[in-house]
Amino acid sequence: MQSHKFLVSKYLLIVAVLICAFVLLMGFESSENTYKPTRHTVTIFKMKFNPENLVVNKGDTVVWINKDFYQHDVTEMTSRKWTSKPFNQGESWSKVITGDIKYYCDLHKVMKGTITVAK
Amino acid sequence: MKTKARYKLTIICALVMATSGLMMAQDAPKLTDPEIASVAVVANQIDIDYGKVALKRSKNKEVTDFANRMIEDHSAVIDQAVALVTKLGVTPKDNAVSQSLMSQSKETLKKLNSVSKKDFDKTYIDNEVAYHEAVIGAVKNVLIPQAQNSELKDLLEAVLPALEAHLGHAIMAQSKISK
Repeated sequence: MQSHKFLVSKYLLIVAVLICAFVLLMGFESSENTYKPTRHTVTIFKMKFNPENLVVNKGDTVVWINKDFYQHDVTEMTSRKWTSKPFNQGESWSKVITGDIKYYCDLHKVMKGTITVAK
Repeated sequence: MKTKARYKLTIICALVMATSGLMMAQDAPKLTDPEIASVAVVANQIDIDYGKVALKRSKNKEVTDFANRMIEDHSAVIDQAVALVTKLGVTPKDNAVSQSLMSQSKETLKKLNSVSKKDFDKTYIDNEVAYHEAVIGAVKNVLIPQAQNSELKDLLEAVLPALEAHLGHAIMAQSKISK
């Protein structure tokens, strides 16, 4: 009788451990699923991207705002895969970040910046 | 070889001529704000004029892209300067420095229009490097320190990074053209 009781409590303990493990796992998974992408701002002023180097999470959005009275653009640097096209003072352009980026202003080729996705 | 040496000498002369007006500005008597406004407008207009010649004479994309940028950016500076002097009720005043810049630019324009097509790109970009170096020196050492009105000073300070970016861009283009 006692050994039956012992077996039941052992069984209950295992079930409890499994439930805890499941809840913990669900908790981790749901925290990943509920990550809310953040908006980051890069200001273009006095012929510089500020900040020049930015670290973001995958899926975040970066918004470039032109505060210069000159036109600027944001262009992928390695092979010009994409470009914002020129935009004026007070205008902005945004991109969802899916990987590391090196970019520059194709109109003012000395202006450069990077976006790094946090590991 | 003789032609090459003469060509080099011509470029050196042109560069000396282009910069001497701005160097003169460093020894010039104190400029008033209306005179500084005039120098700023003239210096920007000169580079627009050089750019227009480049668009007419060059087929090199590096050169035409740079020339288009100079026309766009220096026009934007002139628009800002005109808006500011209008707001302040100031009339830009012609002076020895702006006159000297104008007369030297006429010589440079003559050269840019007469140099052979083959030599145009290098002549234009070499002049752009020298011109921006000289203008940066004048804005930093003469115009900004002498400007009295804070908004005029702010505008000149805002223009400086663009001139430095143009110089960097011109040096990049120069290295590609020289290859």
